[in-house]
Amino acid sequence: MKEKTIDLRPVKKIVAGYGNDKDSNLIAALQQTQDEYGYLPKQVLKEVSRLMEVPLTRIFGIVTFYSQFSLLPKGKFTIKVCIGTACHVRGAEDVKTRIKQLLDVKEGETSADYMFTLESVACLGVCALGPVMVVGSSKKAAGCCDGQDGQTSPSGDKSYGHVKTEKIEGILESYSSDKE
Amino acid sequence: MERLKSTRDILVHREILRKEQATEKQTVVVCGGTGCETFGGSDLYKALDTTIKDRGLENKVLLKKTGCQGLCEKGPLVTLWPSNIFYRRVKESHAEKIIDETVGKGDIIQKLLYTDIQTREKVVHQEDVPFYKKQHRIVLKLNGVIAQDSIDEYIEAGGYSALAKVLEDMKPEQVVKEITDSGLRGRGGAGFPTGKKWEFVQNTTDSNKYVICNGDEGDPGAFMDRSVLEGNPHQVLEGMIIAAYAIGANRGYFYIRAEYPMAIKYVQTAIGQAKELGLLGENILGKGFDLDLEIKKGAGAFVCGEETSLIASIEGKRGMPRTRPPYPAISGLWGKPTCINNVETLANIPIIIEKGAEYYSSIGTKGSKGTKVFALAGKVRNTGLVEVPMGTTLREIIFEIGGGIAKGKKFKAAQIGGPSGGCVPEEYLDTPIDYESLKSIGAIMGSGGLVVMDEDTSMVEIARYFMDFCQDESCGKCPPCRVGTKRMLEKLTKIHDGKGCRDDIEDLKEMANATKTASLCGLGQTAPNPVLSTIRYFMNEYEDLLKTGS
Repeated sequence: MKEKTIDLRPVKKIVAGYGNDKDSNLIAALQQTQDEYGYLPKQVLKEVSRLMEVPLTRIFGIVTFYSQFSLLPKGKFTIKVCIGTACHVRGAEDVKTRIKQLLDVKEGETSADYMFTLESVACLGVCALGPVMVVGSSKKAAGCCDGQDGQTSPSGDKSYGHVKTEKIEGILESYSSDKE
Repeated sequence: MERLKSTRDILVHREILRKEQATEKQTVVVCGGTGCETFGGSDLYKALDTTIKDRGLENKVLLKKTGCQGLCEKGPLVTLWPSNIFYRRVKESHAEKIIDETVGKGDIIQKLLYTDIQTREKVVHQEDVPFYKKQHRIVLKLNGVIAQDSIDEYIEAGGYSALAKVLEDMKPEQVVKEITDSGLRGRGGAGFPTGKKWEFVQNTTDSNKYVICNGDEGDPGAFMDRSVLEGNPHQVLEGMIIAAYAIGANRGYFYIRAEYPMAIKYVQTAIGQAKELGLLGENILGKGFDLDLEIKKGAGAFVCGEETSLIASIEGKRGMPRTRPPYPAISGLWGKPTCINNVETLANIPIIIEKGAEYYSSIGTKGSKGTKVFALAGKVRNTGLVEVPMGTTLREIIFEIGGGIAKGKKFKAAQIGGPSGGCVPEEYLDTPIDYESLKSIGAIMGSGGLVVMDEDTSMVEIARYFMDFCQDESCGKCPPCRVGTKRMLEKLTKIHDGKGCRDDIEDLKEMANATKTASLCGLGQTAPNPVLSTIRYFMNEYEDLLKTGS
């Protein structure tokens, strides 16, 4: 696949913001870079490597170690299904299966129309309300998901508590209307 | 805001705040915990705010949002002061009624009251709800009382007096002694005596030392630290400043999971406020002590809760553990002496300093002092955040505070300690909760996750679930953990799918013991616990699956 040209100005700006303490700020810089691009494109990582004077191998080691990082583009929205113990005993697996069916994806994959990426997360810390799922815009787009039945946090993520499998289709549809 | 230049200034500041607040204002308190937010707490808050303004009551009624009040299952929660009327499951549409009827006329809205599960009677006040009655809240005392983002409310409630006391009257050695005498043990799971840990770091001669707050709460099924960081970040911060003073550190880090954006936000705010007031930064309260703190966001790796992995992660590396000794107390971050404490441990510090080791050690059991916060979840009626004295039994927590099993089902097991812990069956429900008792029945205190399982939960499936988690989160550095978790998962899956034979169980036991003994860090050493404890107490379920298979 031919690589698309990616604007490297944002990553330059991000790295510049981390000053001299580059070693310990590498992870933070990568986090911010991913927030900006939605994922970590190869060209961008090369640029981080060049600017921060860190070997690309080490960067690759880090981004493949931590589950937060993604080397592949994500859908417009990321669905995180909590599979923590409390959610698990309350049926998180069924929730995940239903979403997989509806979107025709496996875990970690993105739907064909690039609307949704399905992920599971170890614990969102809302155990009391399990099963829980969170739908968030993958790239910063504040206010993109107002008006659905759920709650928007400052980051634009919306959590759904006590999720019932029969409700999932409706929840996903409410986002699909958001298509341009 | 003006900087506080001495410990006296903080007293003066508190008096001013108290005078300002002394007016008899009615207060409407909305729980801003994640649970209540998910149920629509923010919209409710907005609706209440609009109603108060519509009625022109801004000067008479104060509206505020606090951290998690605990009873997440019944959220969103609203408490009214000074009447202390407690409403649960409050919706946006109830806002006008609450302001007009309860705030305006003092009438109680019956349908918003909590109904006692046993007596079926309505309960008016929060303190009379059985969920709260049995609790002993010291760490969570101000959660649900003070606004999450207000340093003034924390100071007004007595906050930062422990710091003032330490800086004014106590030498670092005295602080460490006080903590040692209190009997406080690490709340992250292992239960190492906090005072001893501090003493190790204090005794090192290096001029660069670090203090770290471990907020990488990765146990699936645990949300205590999240709630404390979101609800009362200053108490943790104060504990951390005191720790830094005691061990002689001038720099420190909050390591918080990226999955907790709200916790990060509130801690960031708290650090900013403390700096502005002169409680952090250079020359704290004019006593010549400097401390700089910053936040490091975790990037999604369970193993980073292990202290040496966490340090590697702060250093910008893959978060993989290393052999200990040397312990971080001797050689930690950047090779310097480092004191790492869990969120809840640090939140206990100001209480111990303020009220004394004697008071603190009067709570709890012989070997385990103080209280412990649990995240009560799973198939129990009242899920939520619970704080009890050490020595409370599991039965009291699940049946009295938690209201028993949901939907009239039968209790099967309580999973305590997450993927590192074990499943406790009914016959051990009367075990008092302390570090040693739990260990003796094959579980661990852990960080405080307590997930209740009913008759419908398959214990083999649960063992498989935890192994799947550990296998996925194993960092891969040491073979016993990397290979052991993988092979155990295969065996468990085989048994679970009805294809296992008796030898598989024997193999499983052998592999579990080998992984436990030979793994490098806590993850691998404790990963077999759920397997071993389910084999120990629920062997019949394994056997049932064998029979159907072959």
